[in-house]
Amino acid sequence: MMRRCTTCHEEDVIAWVLDDPDADAARKLAERMAACPVCRERAVEYRILHLSAENLRDGRVIRWRRFGSPFGAMRVAASTGGLVALSWQDEGDDAFVAGLEHRYPSTPVVRDTDRLDPAEEQLTEYFGRLRARFDLFVDLAGLGDFQQAVLDAASGLEFGETVTYTEIARRIGRPKASRAVGNALGRNPIPIIVPCHRVVRTDRTLGGYTGGLRYKRALLDIEGRTDLLRSHGQTEMPLA
Amino acid sequence: MTTAAEPERRVKDWSERYGPELRRHVAAMLGDAEEAGDIVQDLWVAALRARPEAGDAVNIRAWLYRVATRRALDHLATRRRRSALLVAHADEVRPASLAATDAAGGRLSEAAAARVRKGVAALPRRQRDAVWLRWIERLDYATIARRMEASPEAARANVYQGMKKLRRDLAEVWREEGPI
Repeated sequence: MMRRCTTCHEEDVIAWVLDDPDADAARKLAERMAACPVCRERAVEYRILHLSAENLRDGRVIRWRRFGSPFGAMRVAASTGGLVALSWQDEGDDAFVAGLEHRYPSTPVVRDTDRLDPAEEQLTEYFGRLRARFDLFVDLAGLGDFQQAVLDAASGLEFGETVTYTEIARRIGRPKASRAVGNALGRNPIPIIVPCHRVVRTDRTLGGYTGGLRYKRALLDIEGRTDLLRSHGQTEMPLA
Repeated sequence: MTTAAEPERRVKDWSERYGPELRRHVAAMLGDAEEAGDIVQDLWVAALRARPEAGDAVNIRAWLYRVATRRALDHLATRRRRSALLVAHADEVRPASLAATDAAGGRLSEAAAARVRKGVAALPRRQRDAVWLRWIERLDYATIARRMEASPEAARANVYQGMKKLRRDLAEVWREEGPI
């Protein structure tokens, strides 16, 4: 067992590694290391740890942020490949992050800095009726082939355009799978951006929407499809 | 007028001015004057290649100390036969400015880095956020605090707790499995 020196302050080594403001940190560190084998060992370990920063910077990571929207607190997440999640369920940060951790094991899930600026901006513009198209990448990797095909097909729908579940089923070459299409759209991890709200039933009723039909109504209202809403009476949740 | 000889002259100047104290600095870390001499000698070659800006003497001195300290620690790591971890040594060569030097680092083998990445992923959420924003994204504490909706003090405490945990995890792996 190595003996600790009386001045062992792991914080000093960390400050040096992190370049926290301290002009003479390297000098102090050298003095510590000369006097104490524990300090020396730690400094080497921190140095090696620090060498992984570049690898981590270039590697896999999931970034997320929360911002305000007419639907309430909205949380959005992206991998290095594109958006992976969008949610406005009142679940809290912990639950949202836990969902991402479960979906992407061994991948750091961290607060975003500025990479998600475009997503927040474009969604805000969309809610303000200033934008009809999203210019954002999505990353559907990890989802099943069938679901990816369904979400790809839905992604091709334009602002204000609606098709039926059956039509999506036909477009992906599984004409009898309209119920499965409904399920796949119901598990859409990136609603709004992947516009599953533009898929409705053959009888022109709206079908379902995960998180509540009132959001589907509100989205179709933004897109000017009041014709689809009228037959169902009032819109439940007018947008702010 | 700038001539080709200018950088050489500047580095020679630094070696005369800072060489002795840097050798003492490195020797203190390594406990070996001869090895320290070699490391400091290599430092001038690195300085010539990196061409840190002339700047003021205080910053040059800080730059030299920083690089010398890194090299001494890498030397110790190699001594401990952890050299397999270190794959590149680009940090001292790459930067065009002192600011860039501070942010730069070498690289770890991917296998070793994957361990660290896993460790970061397993940190408690707020420690992970703080560590990532400070250590990887290099934001200052005020900015981190805003991102995390916390005080700068809390953000800083989270960074330090997280870094300690990562270091302990890594040390544990080495004890059990030896160098990766």
